[in-house]
Amino acid sequence: MSSRIEILNDGGYRSDGRRQYELRSIDIDMSPQGTADGCAVVSHGLTQVQVCVFGPREARKRAETLHDRAVLNVEVGVLPFSAGERRRRGRADRRILELAASIKSTFEPVIQTSLYPRSQIDIFVSVLAQDGGLLQACINATSVALASAGIALGDLVCAVSGGVHGTFPLLDLSALEEGDLPNVTVAITPRSGKVTLVTLETRLHVDRFGEVFARACEAGRVIHTEMRRAVRARTSKLVDAMGAGTKGTGEEDVERDVLMSEINDF
Amino acid sequence: MVLDDEDFAEGTQKLTCPGEPITSSHAFMRGHGTYVDNEEVIASVAGTIERVNKLISVRAIRARYSPEVGDLVVGRITEVQPRRWKVDANSRQDAVLMLSSVNLPGGVQRRKLESDELQMRTFFEEGDLLVAEVQAFFADGVMSLHTRSLRYGKLRNGQLITVPPALIRRLKSHFITLPCGVDLILGLNGYIWVSKHLKQNEQEGEDAFDAEAVYSNRNDDIDDATRAAISRVSNIIRILGAHFVPLTDTLLLDAYEWAVEQEGGVKDLLNSDIGDALVSAVAARS
Amino acid sequence: MASVSLSKAEKSFIQTSLQATPPLRADGRALLDYRTVLLETGVASQANGSAKLNVGKAPLEGGGGTEVLAATKLEVEDVENGDGLDGGRIVCAVTCSPSAYPHLSSNALDEVQYDLTMILHQTISHQTLHPKNLGILPKKKSWLLNLDVVVFADAGNVLDAIFMAARAALWDTKVPRTRAIQYQAKKAGSGTGSGDMDVDSGNEPGHGLSGFDTRDMARTAADFELPDYWDEGEVLDGRDRWPVCVTLNVLPSHHYLDATTPEEASTPLKLHLAFSFPTDQPCHLQALRLLGPGELQLPQLKTLIADGEKYAKELFTALESKLRDEDLRRNVKARDKFASR
Repeated sequence: MSSRIEILNDGGYRSDGRRQYELRSIDIDMSPQGTADGCAVVSHGLTQVQVCVFGPREARKRAETLHDRAVLNVEVGVLPFSAGERRRRGRADRRILELAASIKSTFEPVIQTSLYPRSQIDIFVSVLAQDGGLLQACINATSVALASAGIALGDLVCAVSGGVHGTFPLLDLSALEEGDLPNVTVAITPRSGKVTLVTLETRLHVDRFGEVFARACEAGRVIHTEMRRAVRARTSKLVDAMGAGTKGTGEEDVERDVLMSEINDF
Repeated sequence: MVLDDEDFAEGTQKLTCPGEPITSSHAFMRGHGTYVDNEEVIASVAGTIERVNKLISVRAIRARYSPEVGDLVVGRITEVQPRRWKVDANSRQDAVLMLSSVNLPGGVQRRKLESDELQMRTFFEEGDLLVAEVQAFFADGVMSLHTRSLRYGKLRNGQLITVPPALIRRLKSHFITLPCGVDLILGLNGYIWVSKHLKQNEQEGEDAFDAEAVYSNRNDDIDDATRAAISRVSNIIRILGAHFVPLTDTLLLDAYEWAVEQEGGVKDLLNSDIGDALVSAVAARS
Repeated sequence: MASVSLSKAEKSFIQTSLQATPPLRADGRALLDYRTVLLETGVASQANGSAKLNVGKAPLEGGGGTEVLAATKLEVEDVENGDGLDGGRIVCAVTCSPSAYPHLSSNALDEVQYDLTMILHQTISHQTLHPKNLGILPKKKSWLLNLDVVVFADAGNVLDAIFMAARAALWDTKVPRTRAIQYQAKKAGSGTGSGDMDVDSGNEPGHGLSGFDTRDMARTAADFELPDYWDEGEVLDGRDRWPVCVTLNVLPSHHYLDATTPEEASTPLKLHLAFSFPTDQPCHLQALRLLGPGELQLPQLKTLIADGEKYAKELFTALESKLRDEDLRRNVKARDKFASR
């Protein structure tokens, strides 16, 4: 089913009025939710994903713990009314399991799990609305949620989706574009520039892939700026709130931090 | 963002987020919340940078409780295992309370008997709340608690309030008595126990260590005024927690006085306007 | 609903406080006070109607509260060949996010979901509440209304929250207006083929009736169309009938409303009552469930139902005024947005 809507018109505008490399508007909300240790709601245009992080905490099943690091558990739930067509997906739906596995493998090398042996980190993803770029939104929301939970990360992981229309690479695809174009999702750790995830769903010429991949890496840095801004704003808000009530606790901090030992040897 | 000595002036709070380089690893040693890569010290959590001499660390603004030896914690029993209990203390792993670390009825010098191991639930069972001190750590970082003091042990006559652990600072004493007849125990793990005041002389008395009393689940008679005071104090703590204000004894006293001056009901404190007014009033006084 | 462990001392403290004179709750509320309820409608853009509700959320960094999101989606169903019922049907489902019950395994979560789904579905989909405008073409096509409720957090009293959110989402639902049409092939011998022309007439050929006569249209038409693609539609019928639920937590001497999780753990006997208040009619009791260990004498049950009706009426009125406010707010917002262009 090819749509009659032009993906990219002669003036260089896409179906929703964006330019070729323009990203949709990003909104990051870190207000606390329920009893979660960390929470974030990230929107890319109309795609909205909420991630709640619990942990590190005592693992529910002792058999599944690892003696030297934390176990990562990712569960994804897609709301039935998130897409245009209502569909009730069970927890064992293949696409959902794939999504969860991608998120888990993206974050496993990034979270410093060796700091939390024998514990469990739960990442609960809820997809509130879908309009393309689902994996991208899930990864970005998970990064921010982990940061807000105070879990040690090597870096914030930033993800962007991209596609190719003819010979033109496009970034941050909407659902309409995803349906028509071969699309790729790239997740990077901006500081080192390393790539932690690349997925490609359809066929793409190797040259085209190189172009869109390079553009996506650049776009990842843009997203990183937004994420950094949101995390800093929240940290600063909390620090100010704490400062408003305290009378100065400098001495205690000094005494505490002089004892430096990561895992106390016994 | 590479920082050196001048940037760490007194009183400035430098913020960071994961993946941000802080300084060169040649000049500084790295502490909690950081790691070294490529000769740089890099932050791994979002929070404030703290520097002590040559040690750089980042304190996460909001994280699970990180225990240290000697800390006072309030915990809830989650499991009863052979010769020990597992205690939920809002930390990365459940803490452990060994049978040998609790006071056994009949005097503190009493030796452990076999029958004690079989009757562990007569001391603590699942769901019980207790106040204990961190004695030591096991090799994997699990904390070991002890209640070998008459001030520690099972909690009753009150209710539990939870706040983020970052708001509980290390104080000289975590047992606070408010003038309205309410006792507070500020666990460093963010669990706070608000209860009816227990007179000092009822606590002490090492010779007459009454198991019935210490491990009893029965509450004392509490009069209505004290109950109302307990509810009021609980609401105050919730407000301070929601506004992310660190808790100290003076702050709580000020807050309670203000709340009483308002002459409102206990449930008026649930109103967000009153809550905001409370926090500003208390901040103004300090 | 989920088991939260509480010590015996804590439970007894809560119970004695509730049974004291005057009764005192942990946060100082009166027995019949509800916590702050935050309600927003129109939160899911892809749905036909939606609402987000939070009971007892602490301000700023407190978080918490019971948070529920409900949304309705309409699908067309075939009455003759498919699952459709003439006049439409409603199906409800409740999902619990694992973040609401972080200590439960996925099997236990499924059980909680199932229980909540059953109560909601059996109450809402009952024929006495059935809205009149869910049919499209009699005996041929009808609407299936899917009501999905998601529980994001549970700090007590989740069933009341679910029913309130469901009512709000149903209130917000707009059913697209449809118009029955039928393709009418031109009579044989009357000219070139224009057989696929969309003609708004329905009667059998050869009767000589005017093409403007559409009296029998709906009866014989085979298909429908949306006359206005951009129109949201008309409001779902039966707005006044959707029920509200009050949960009475029962103690030997009295009862209270809107329990927090520790209170629920201390007073396990609960009476769920769902009332419907159709305009100009006496109120109806749509659902009743008694859960938990304990028993009630029949006279006691009768007084509880009578009391429950009073509480439900107050809740109903408060919710309705809030829903009207929300409608107004969104209309004003839309108008302002349009005017500012």
